[in-house]
This record gives sequence, C-alpha cells and structure tokens, in this order.
Amino acid sequence: MADNKCAARRYVYVWEGPVRISHWLNFFCIIFLSITGVYIHYPFVTACSLSNAPYIMGIVRYSHYLVGVIFAFSVLLRLFWLFMGNYYSSWKSFSNPFKKEDRKIFWGYFKYYIFLERNPPHVLGHNPVALVAYIVLFNLFILQIITGFALWSQADPNSTMYAITGWIFNFVSNQWVRFYHYIFMFLVAGFVINHIYSAVIFDFKSQSGEISSIFSGWKPERRR
Amino acid sequence: MSKFQNILDSYGVSRRDFLKYCTALGATLSLSPALAPKVAEAIEKDDRPPVIWLEFQDCAGDSESLLRSNRPTVAELVLDYLSIDYHETIMAAAGHQAEEAQRATVEKYKGKYICVVEGSIPVNDDGVYCTIGGKSAVQILNEVGGNAAFVIAVGTCATYGGLPAAYPNPTGAKRVKELLPNKTVINLPGCPMNVDNLTGTIVHYLLFGAPPVMDKFLRPKFAYGKRIHDNCERRGHFDAGQFVNAWGDEAHRQGWCLYKMGCKGPETFHNCPTVRWNEGTSWPVQSGHGCVGCSEPGFWDTMTPIYNRLPNIPGFGVEATATKIGAAVVGISAVVFGTHGIVSLIRNKGMVKKVEHEFEDEE
Repeated sequence: MADNKCAARRYVYVWEGPVRISHWLNFFCIIFLSITGVYIHYPFVTACSLSNAPYIMGIVRYSHYLVGVIFAFSVLLRLFWLFMGNYYSSWKSFSNPFKKEDRKIFWGYFKYYIFLERNPPHVLGHNPVALVAYIVLFNLFILQIITGFALWSQADPNSTMYAITGWIFNFVSNQWVRFYHYIFMFLVAGFVINHIYSAVIFDFKSQSGEISSIFSGWKPERRR
Repeated sequence: MSKFQNILDSYGVSRRDFLKYCTALGATLSLSPALAPKVAEAIEKDDRPPVIWLEFQDCAGDSESLLRSNRPTVAELVLDYLSIDYHETIMAAAGHQAEEAQRATVEKYKGKYICVVEGSIPVNDDGVYCTIGGKSAVQILNEVGGNAAFVIAVGTCATYGGLPAAYPNPTGAKRVKELLPNKTVINLPGCPMNVDNLTGTIVHYLLFGAPPVMDKFLRPKFAYGKRIHDNCERRGHFDAGQFVNAWGDEAHRQGWCLYKMGCKGPETFHNCPTVRWNEGTSWPVQSGHGCVGCSEPGFWDTMTPIYNRLPNIPGFGVEATATKIGAAVVGISAVVFGTHGIVSLIRNKGMVKKVEHEFEDEE
C-alpha cells in the first residue's frame, strides 16, 4: 500500500484569484438578484397592515439595485481578466474553428454529451462545449446589466445613467425591455442546472477536481 | 374695454379666473409664478398664429378632450374661440365652405400657422381608408402639415399610431412624424391627450416663440418628463408592499397600490397624477383602476394584457405569460440534465473499480 499514492502527477494553478472571486460574486449576486427580481415582478410577500415592517418593496428594490451594481463590477472584473489572465481564463483558450485539433476536441466533447463518445480528450481548463455556454451566458449577463440599468434610469430621464443606457428604448419599448430582463433570469436558471450537473459529472468522470478547483484554483495534471 | 375682455365676458370668465388659469398653466410648464402675467399677455395678444385641427383615423377622443368641460373653460376659450380656424367637428361651416376656410388659412398664414393632427394616417392602398373632400389623409397632411410652422400630434394615434396601428394594422396606419420626417413635430400622446398639455404647448410657443424642450420620443418634458409611478399618490403603498390582489378586496377599498393588477404606471411617462383630468377632478389610479400606459410608444400592443405586468409572448398562444415560458425553460433543462444524469449513471457503472485497478496496476 503506497501511502503517498496520488492520481495527480503535479498540480497546476488553473483558476487565478480574480476568476474565483468573480465566480463566487456572480453566484451570490445571481441568487440574490433572482429572488429580489421575482419579488419585484410579483410581490409574493405583502404587508398586511401599516404596523408590520412597511417599506418591503422599497428595501427589495434598493438591494436589487445595490447588488446589481456589485454584479456589474464582478462581470467587468471577469471580462478584464479575459484579457489579463492566464491561458485558462483567457480568450486565447476559446476553440478556434479553423484549427483541426480544436475542432476535434470540441466534437469529442459534444459527442460525449450526447453519449456517442466515452473518453473525450482531457483538457485542464474549460471544456470547449461548456465554454460556448459561458460565452452565451456572459452575453446574457451584459444584456441583463444594460436592461437593468436602463430600467433603473427611467426614474430620471435627465440622468447620466439614462444617457448611457436609454438608447435601448429606441429599439425596444420599455415593456419588452422589462420582459427580456425577466425572461433572461429563467435562461440563467436553466444554465445553473446545466452548470452544476456538468461540474459534478466531469468531476466524477475526469477525476481532476473540477469542483474543488473553483474554491482553491488548483487542478491536478493527470498522469495519462 | 378691450376685445379680449369682451370675449372673456361673453364666455362668463372673470379676469381673475383668467389670471388664475394663466398661473396654473405656467406651473404646468414649470415656469416661475413671476411669468404668469407674461403668459396672460401672450394669450391676449392679437397676432396669435391660427390653428388648423386635422382629424384622421381616430375616435375624436382628443376633440372630446378639448370640449369635455361642462362649462366653457379658459383652455377651451383659448383654443377653440381664439385660435382654431378649422376643426371639422366643432366648426360651423361644412362641405366646400369648410375646405375653403382651411385653404384660405393655409395660404394666408403659410409657414406661420400651427397644425394640430389627431388620428393616425393610413397609407395602405394609396390611403383610401381615410379621405376627406376627395383627398387622402396623406395628401391633406402633406399640404397642411407641410406648410405649417410646426405640427402638434395629439393623442396616441397621431403620435405613435395608437389603436389603428396595433397588430395587424390592416390600414397601414402611421404616425405623423413618419410622414413628415423633416418637420418639427411635437408629440402629445395619451388616449386621449390632456388638453392642458396642448394649451401649455401652444402657450409656450406664443410666449417663447419655440416649442418646449422634448425627449427622444418628441414629447415635451414638462408633461412627459416623469413616470406616473414616481408621482403617484399610491406610491407609498407600493414601497410599503401594500398591494391590491383582487378587485374590490380589502386592499382595494383601502386604496392600496394597483401594481399587481397590472398598473402600467411604472412604464408610462405622463403628468396625469399632477394635472389630472376633467378640470383636475381625478385620474385613473385615483379612481381605483391601474394605468393602461396609453401615452407610451407601442400602445396598444406592448401594454396589453391590461391586467398583467408583462406582455404575452407572440406565437405561444394567448395565455403564454413570461412566467409560464420561463418555468418551462427551467423545467426542460431539469428534465434534460436529469435524464442525462440517469443515462450517465448507467454508462459509468463499474468505472470506479476500473479506475482504481488502473492505479494499482501502475504500482
């Protein structure tokens, strides 16, 4: 019995600090924004009388805005790190459709998802199919942030915020901006289900610490 | 006694009432009270530009709004008696006589008169869906609107197409600005528009010789610069989380917020809560019904269903609310990945042993 037996040959620092901070900020912000956002759409808790804790909606809206600002900075941090970070967090790790090797890995993973492939090639960073989902997700985030700030800015159409974000109402009426801001939340919720499931299954399948890596940053380089 | 004083007397309006009105109008325009005498002067002057009122595809609701009062108000006096040279509904002349009056004004005051347009303009099939005196609405608008100093589009039909332009828009109804893209067009949306805002806009022009400051939808900011929601008298109940859940429930009787009943106040820019209707008597939310968002671009299509918060999704049936579609998205992903998980469990059977053996073999 080897007491120092380990599946890993060595450890690689894959997810740097800003990536993990932004990931967990997003995590908490998405949960908070979803709950408060659903409340703003449909106030499921209503004050029964004047005496018990009035100003519920005021507090919920205030915190939705505050967390929305934090979320926007978190997304900005991650986008900044897309250009400043290491290979694994950089845009350079995106699959290049013109490279044969990249195409091969992408289709390998795609086939794995639809049960046509048992052992796709191992990659240390994002798997290329998941990466496509993340790119879509971050576009959703950006749309959520723009629509969110635009709706907020309607409180004062003379404000700087309205000048920056109000252009969206030239293209989409404010009812539909609200609609998209609401429906995107469900798309993000669908992604969360996918994301947690995929993280678990790849953690199990690849024995490479998918889940612990988003806490610690380290991933083992596999022997084979 | 001046000519203007005679008119006031014949309408039974005292000088004091007239000045009170001028002060109120100044307040509507966000002017200093010190400017009230100037407002009065501007209205009294003899060289006011005449107004031609065109009516196209609509319900005459804006004319009703103008004439709604049970006694002649100063607003009606200023607009109807003093300024309006042509208005099919209220003018005494008819037929060729009326058309002649319009033509004469256009010729005499070319580039100086104010053109008020009520109703949308149908353009499909050469505009046959609305013709007056043998001319299509498009032709009339180009002739009369094109030669005006500026055009005021009143009511949601003229400003954004309104009900005639709602899906499927069989007549190809368009708003005024689409047909007169190079003309100064002031939009006074609303279904109907509030006549105080029309008087305010005209008086602003008389006073300063320029249209009021407008937002990007060409609405004067004095009237459409703030959301109904932000000036609503029930706003306190909104912030406190006190909502009406059903018509006639205890909360409704208490006068709580109509947000959950689909009130579109948070989406609508208008001065209804401050100016109100019927000589400042009341307005929809005060009388217990939510705002329907009648003065926003895209009304009717984007603001329906009136009693829901968000529009229904086209192509998914009548009752497809955003929540239902969203829940379906989440449900489908849960089912897809749940199924995937079960299949993976079966496929990965024996994998643990296999991997452990591989490491032992390496030893």
